[in-house]
Amino acid sequence: MQDEISDLLRRLARQDRSALRDLYQHAAPKLTGLLIRMLGDRAEAEDALQDVFVKLWQRAATFDPDKGSGMSWICAIARNQALDRLRARSARRSTRTDELDESVHVADPGMSAEATVMLRAKMQDVIRCFDELPTERSQAVKAAYLQGLSYQELADHHSVPLNTMRTWLRRALISLRECLDR
Amino acid sequence: MNDDDTLSPQDAEDLLAAEYALGLLDPDAWRRAQQRAEVDGAFAARVQAWEGRLAPLNDSFPEAPPPDLLPRIEAELFPAQPSRRTWFMGLGLGTLAAAALVLVLLLVIPTTPPAPPSLQAELVDETRGLTLFVDYAPQTEALVVSAADPAPDAGSVYELWVIDDTGQPRSLGLLGDAGTLLQAALQAGQTLAVSLEPEGGSPEPVPTGPVLATALLN
Repeated sequence: MQDEISDLLRRLARQDRSALRDLYQHAAPKLTGLLIRMLGDRAEAEDALQDVFVKLWQRAATFDPDKGSGMSWICAIARNQALDRLRARSARRSTRTDELDESVHVADPGMSAEATVMLRAKMQDVIRCFDELPTERSQAVKAAYLQGLSYQELADHHSVPLNTMRTWLRRALISLRECLDR
Repeated sequence: MNDDDTLSPQDAEDLLAAEYALGLLDPDAWRRAQQRAEVDGAFAARVQAWEGRLAPLNDSFPEAPPPDLLPRIEAELFPAQPSRRTWFMGLGLGTLAAAALVLVLLLVIPTTPPAPPSLQAELVDETRGLTLFVDYAPQTEALVVSAADPAPDAGSVYELWVIDDTGQPRSLGLLGDAGTLLQAALQAGQTLAVSLEPEGGSPEPVPTGPVLATALLN
């Protein structure tokens, strides 16, 4: 599968400094959006963005194109970086549990038509599998993914006890795994 | 209400991986899972599988105009190297003359063809205070790696990799605490990397743990 980000990551693994500039051009807008969304703060998102690119350079050799697209891999690193900061934060901003943005943008600059078709098909699977879940549970999983909310924050937001939220989500995750691996 | 007791050990492991990947855990539990993902290849693979399942949700993240951080990123990754003093600097003129004489003698006296020069790399992980000196003799294909100090965390091991022209890493072997001798066919200009792996080395053909340092073999 043609995947420009994967090619750039392979060049990064060879210590190709010009690939770092190309990757920044391609991926920084998406990663900036992701980090602002998760951290809820542009200044902190910018600090995190620098850390993410340092990590991408250091870890590019561990990227395995057989295990997923380059874009998924760099988003996973960026989410992990955001979670790291969120979990280190003691107090949380109240704006973090705002309504979920349900809009979905399927298009990535620098992605081949074939890759976009495959991504659309995967998207359809995910939408279908989320639709099989009770609404509030599917929303809770998405909120965890997109905003990095913890069990405790989700329980507070939905006004249910922590253990109830944990049980809901564990069941939801097992259902999702069965549905997505089908 | 808690149905933990009904979970199989595999499901419990897989749910922990999902909870870590999603970020559902409280700070302490999340941090413990993060440390585990760095050294436990099987757990890391479960985490990666979840990241793959949920990756289509990444489309819900909007794009935003990025700041121009490239100069800062490059300054952090590639600090200006202090220029190294070459070996003949600091030697007196007399010493230089003597060296020149030795050189002339070497040139006029027939000798066996010299062995190709050895190649070196220096892998530095500043966070850990780890420096590995690598010396490679192309003629014998012997790779000598200096003692790994500080030793890796309990239950983990340092693994040395070479990254070829296609960007694909290839394991060269595990590093012992007291210096290691490895055999490999390498070339100047290839990239070496050291990663932290679970005991016995990476279960995958690529590093599963964090890559601590990379350097060019020259």
